[in-house]
Amino acid sequence: MTKLLQASMDGVAVGSLYALIALGYTMVYGILKFINFAHSDVFMLGAWFSFAICGFLGYTTADHPVYAALVALIGSMAMCGALGFTIERLAYRPLRGAPRINVLITAIGVSLLLENVGQLNSNKFLAEYGIKFPFGTRPTSVPLLLPDQPLLSFALDSAHPNTLVNVLPVDVLVIGVAFTLMALLQYLVFGTSLGRAMRAVSYDAKTASLMGIDVDRVVSITFVIGSALAAAAGFLYGQKLQSLRQSADGLWVLLGLKAFVAAVVGGVGNVRGAMAGGLMIGLVEQFGAAYLSTNLRDLYVFSLLIVVLLFKPEGLLGKAVVEKV
Amino acid sequence: MGLLDVQGVGIAFGGLKAVQDFRLDLPKGALQGLIGPNGAGKTTLFNLLTGVYPPDTGTVKLGDRVLNGLKPHQIAQAGLARTFQNIRLFGDLTVLDNVKIACWSRGWTTTLDALLRTPRFRAEENAITTRSMELLQIFELDKRADESARFLPYGGQRRLEMARALALDPKVLLLDEPAAGMNPQEKVALRNLIRDVRDRFGLTVLLIEHDMGLVMEICERITVLDHGVVIASGTPIEIQKNPAVIEAYLGASPVADASPGAH
Amino acid sequence: MSLASYGKPASPAVVAVDALGPFAGVAVLVLLMHFVIGPAVGPYYAKILVDIAISIVLAVSLNVVNGFTGQFSIGHAAFMAVGGYTAAAITYFGTVKIWGGLPLVHADPQGWGLFVVGTVAGALVAGLFGLFVGLPSLRLRGDYLALVTLGFGEIVRVLLMQTGSIPDPKVIAEAPLYTLPLKLGGSLGFGGVPTYTNLFWAWLWAGLTLVIVYRLKASTHGRAFLSVREDEIAAEAMGIPTTSVKVRAFVLSAALAGIAGALFAHELGTTLNPKELGFQKSFEVVIMVVLGGMGSLSGAVLAAAVLTVLPEVLREFSEYRMIVYALILILVMLVRPQGLFGIHEVWELPVVRRLLGGRGPK
Ligand SMILES: Nc1ncnc2c1ncn2[C@@H]1O[C@H](COP(=O)(O)OP(=O)(O)OP(=O)(O)O)[C@@H](O)[C@H]1O
Ligand SMILES: [Mg+2]
Repeated sequence: MTKLLQASMDGVAVGSLYALIALGYTMVYGILKFINFAHSDVFMLGAWFSFAICGFLGYTTADHPVYAALVALIGSMAMCGALGFTIERLAYRPLRGAPRINVLITAIGVSLLLENVGQLNSNKFLAEYGIKFPFGTRPTSVPLLLPDQPLLSFALDSAHPNTLVNVLPVDVLVIGVAFTLMALLQYLVFGTSLGRAMRAVSYDAKTASLMGIDVDRVVSITFVIGSALAAAAGFLYGQKLQSLRQSADGLWVLLGLKAFVAAVVGGVGNVRGAMAGGLMIGLVEQFGAAYLSTNLRDLYVFSLLIVVLLFKPEGLLGKAVVEKV
Repeated sequence: MGLLDVQGVGIAFGGLKAVQDFRLDLPKGALQGLIGPNGAGKTTLFNLLTGVYPPDTGTVKLGDRVLNGLKPHQIAQAGLARTFQNIRLFGDLTVLDNVKIACWSRGWTTTLDALLRTPRFRAEENAITTRSMELLQIFELDKRADESARFLPYGGQRRLEMARALALDPKVLLLDEPAAGMNPQEKVALRNLIRDVRDRFGLTVLLIEHDMGLVMEICERITVLDHGVVIASGTPIEIQKNPAVIEAYLGASPVADASPGAH
Repeated sequence: MSLASYGKPASPAVVAVDALGPFAGVAVLVLLMHFVIGPAVGPYYAKILVDIAISIVLAVSLNVVNGFTGQFSIGHAAFMAVGGYTAAAITYFGTVKIWGGLPLVHADPQGWGLFVVGTVAGALVAGLFGLFVGLPSLRLRGDYLALVTLGFGEIVRVLLMQTGSIPDPKVIAEAPLYTLPLKLGGSLGFGGVPTYTNLFWAWLWAGLTLVIVYRLKASTHGRAFLSVREDEIAAEAMGIPTTSVKVRAFVLSAALAGIAGALFAHELGTTLNPKELGFQKSFEVVIMVVLGGMGSLSGAVLAAAVLTVLPEVLREFSEYRMIVYALILILVMLVRPQGLFGIHEVWELPVVRRLLGGRGPK
């Protein structure tokens, strides 16, 4: 029972991170129809940027202001939003209308670029200002910006101390921030005219542009939003794990891929699908890890992907499209 | 009973009944027209016959063989060949290769023959090339055999579609708006070509066409489709006089619309 | 070529040369590599030449799926891993079981037969995996298929990481055969694989791969592959069973990648490690194919060679190496999206044709 609760909570926490990342993939895929491989690197940079911000503002020790977490979060979201905008402008926009494979390869190129620029060894440029960028070739530990005593701690069976369930502030932060952002996005996409434009472009970009929608602008905004959400996920990830791998570590891409899997499982192009898919992947992974074997986490996720694709290729919440002849 | 026997075939896309209860009995050697306003369901009918969409209702028989449930390539191999309204050539391949590909199912070598370049393989390759070049000659494309199909002019692409379909050695040929986008001279040539090809290869032809001049002149019988339903069937003269047909057309697009298809 | 010879009956000599010539060419190339070039350039460059040969096998084989049939596989490294581990298991455990002694890290010729058996077995097992991965292609298209291949690749990697450590030779000698496939070294990799791969074997397989795949492309069967890339619906309508064509492409491609894996596993200075054969490796191969031009074998060969040499050239600037690599990739996609040669072979390009003085472009 303890295991069940713990696994559910971890599953929801990890799952909401996947969901945040998946949203960026799914929105870009919905509009431009390609897998933005560089998205996992935006997530990675989001984590590292927030770390750099902490360094810059001196939030490295225990005594930091209460709003520190908010500053780091918003700062890194802004930086990644700008980054996403730039990437789209410089690398993807010139390829509008090119075969998708080309865009995909370009995305892989951008991804490699970000990873490797991120771990250049020369800290000297900015180091004197206390900004640690590039981030070097080694993993680093991240200062926790929240108290580390459990907010809530209860035993299911007071006779057995190992049935203790701890609810840490980090978990509340992760789940709280993720759900708040998702609710905001939900409102943006379904409740505003910008959201309507996004949906129109995703449905049929050509017609949308004939209807007077500025497609380029919508695409830019999509990249900014998606990247900012990924940055939020990056920050939360850093807080949850309190350590970051170096930027070219394969782990980042793997996490990104799992988030894309979440998008596909939910039905790619579908905002609610990405949220549902993210939670599902997180739960599957954490339950598998808790009850079967920790080492096989990736296996559960990718097996789920293959099963879903074989039986419902359009994803759980997606709609099938038939090619007209 | 005819060669191509279609009984009560129909399909709906969501709420749209694109084709309903279609019946047709084509005798061997027939040259039959299929006309109707835009969106009447003509192309959809071809898709049903060739297995692109499985029909919701009805059966399709070619000779004694029931085609329902077969995959498109099996139907093609059984002898039902088609062209596409929105040209679907193998654009990056040469004109000759386009035709040769359709000869694949009649081949007799294995992949191993190809890898070892056995005499059998050479013999087959020669036979296929010879036959493909003959077909290209008929359609006056032999001079451009070596070019990429996408660089052919529009009329040439339509003719290549026909040559490619013929390379299947079909019993029945389904032509979907072969004259669309052709200029008047090309249309005259096409008219003779269709008849010639039919006689020469002993084909049975079902022809969708918006060019009424062409249809009235070469088709022996015509079926008219509107909103997925057959509204008339008969000789060209009967069709021209049929009030239901006239109304269907006046209610939709002009009768002798010369350049549809490009949408 | 088919058009030029059209109508003229070929003499038996021509037929024989056409059929056997390429094999003789491969033999000459291999002997030259092994006995002349290898000794002349020394071990450092010889290793690069071996790496190039392996890359050629990988790029050309991936081209069968991605270039010919236009499917999109990004899990090629998994087939390489399957082939490599199969072959390594056969040579390593086989050496201990047959000759009793320690595995021959410095391989000598008595094991060559075992190496060939291992390589062929690697190809077969990888081909079988190709069948499994090809089956979803019956239902899935484009990016979704790509994702399944990628997912499959990751599954293979994770499973290989879970295998147990390699037992002592004494234990191997007594262990029943069926227990050994579960002991492939896990996340530490399969260490101590005999180093059979040299210029001779690498270029032999590279040459054979090229002959096979080129001949396929230039035959009816290969044209069926190409038609699937061009237009699947039209291909079906022309009697091509597109689903079985796709599965065949996957099987052939995987089997050849298995050979590359076997060569990689037995190369001096490489460790057969699941981490080495993850999606990064797969991307590397995809990049080779796209840079060379999807469907162009000469392009794949050139791109494989260049992209294998490039990191070596940039070794001095090791920190900036991947950055340069990434920038080149992005630039090529922006400037020449169809890759070096597009879908054509180098000798089919108008410029080259004109240079060769053959039939001019139209
Ligand atoms: N795959 C499909 N899904 C949904 N609707 C379809 C599909 N294919 C065709 N339709 C619809 O079925 C109807 C008939 O289309 P069809 O293409 O058969 O017309 P047509 O008679 O060939 O017209 P045209 O002369 O313009 O070629 C149209 O309303 C079309 O939109
Ligand atoms: Mg039509």
